[in-house]
Amino acid sequence: MRGTAFSAAFCCAYVWALATNHPLFLYYPLHGDFRWGMQPLLTSAQASGPAMAWYGIVATASLLAVCATLCVPRRLSGRLTPYLWLFPVGAMLGCAFLLRRFF
Amino acid sequence: MLVALLLTAHLLVGVALLGAVTHQAVGLLRPSAVQSRRFIARYAKADHTAFTIAIAVLFALSVLLGGLLYPTYRIQVRIPFEGMHLSWAIGLFELKEHFGGLGIGLLPAYVWAWRPGNVTGRVGLTLVLAFIAWWNFLVGHVLNNLRGLT
Repeated sequence: MRGTAFSAAFCCAYVWALATNHPLFLYYPLHGDFRWGMQPLLTSAQASGPAMAWYGIVATASLLAVCATLCVPRRLSGRLTPYLWLFPVGAMLGCAFLLRRFF
Repeated sequence: MLVALLLTAHLLVGVALLGAVTHQAVGLLRPSAVQSRRFIARYAKADHTAFTIAIAVLFALSVLLGGLLYPTYRIQVRIPFEGMHLSWAIGLFELKEHFGGLGIGLLPAYVWAWRPGNVTGRVGLTLVLAFIAWWNFLVGHVLNNLRGLT
């Protein structure tokens, strides 16, 4: 039952983290550096290379989903179950909307 | 060499995942076809509850391997894509990575929905996972054709 609450919260938290740019950390693959999400490398983008937020977004969503799972009552989790598929579908549409600049 | 091995493993895991999740989804959508002798009926006849753990493990493994390859993509493929003004290709990959991330978060509910006695929500979650598996496989294939990892 907890799994349903986790998944629903994960989808919401994932889109929130993507939309508001709140990865838990950033990874700089050129030099293998990690930085907390709120403290990006201050050197120029040329020197530090591109930053990758995906790992940090997954970490943010996981952390928030665990917190939400512990807070949501089991009865509410049970009520969510028939509509659970709407959360990933909504999240995927949200991601597509946020990435519309590429298309 | 390591990248090539990881990419091949990523591909093979993706193929296995596609097979398993498609089998399960078809079996869910055609439960009444088990008496027929046609191919699709026999395809759907398999015990689709048996696929659940395999699908969850393969999905997680596929995302893990993709996550290991992702830094190489970011340096070796995405930067040239930006230079070639292939923003649609970058966008397709961004969708692939985010769908994969969402799929990972969906696995606990998916496994719970396939436990004996839990039927509610099973169809929707399985179809969403099948869509993600197909999308990620096809996008990965198209992008690798455009510019593969070396």
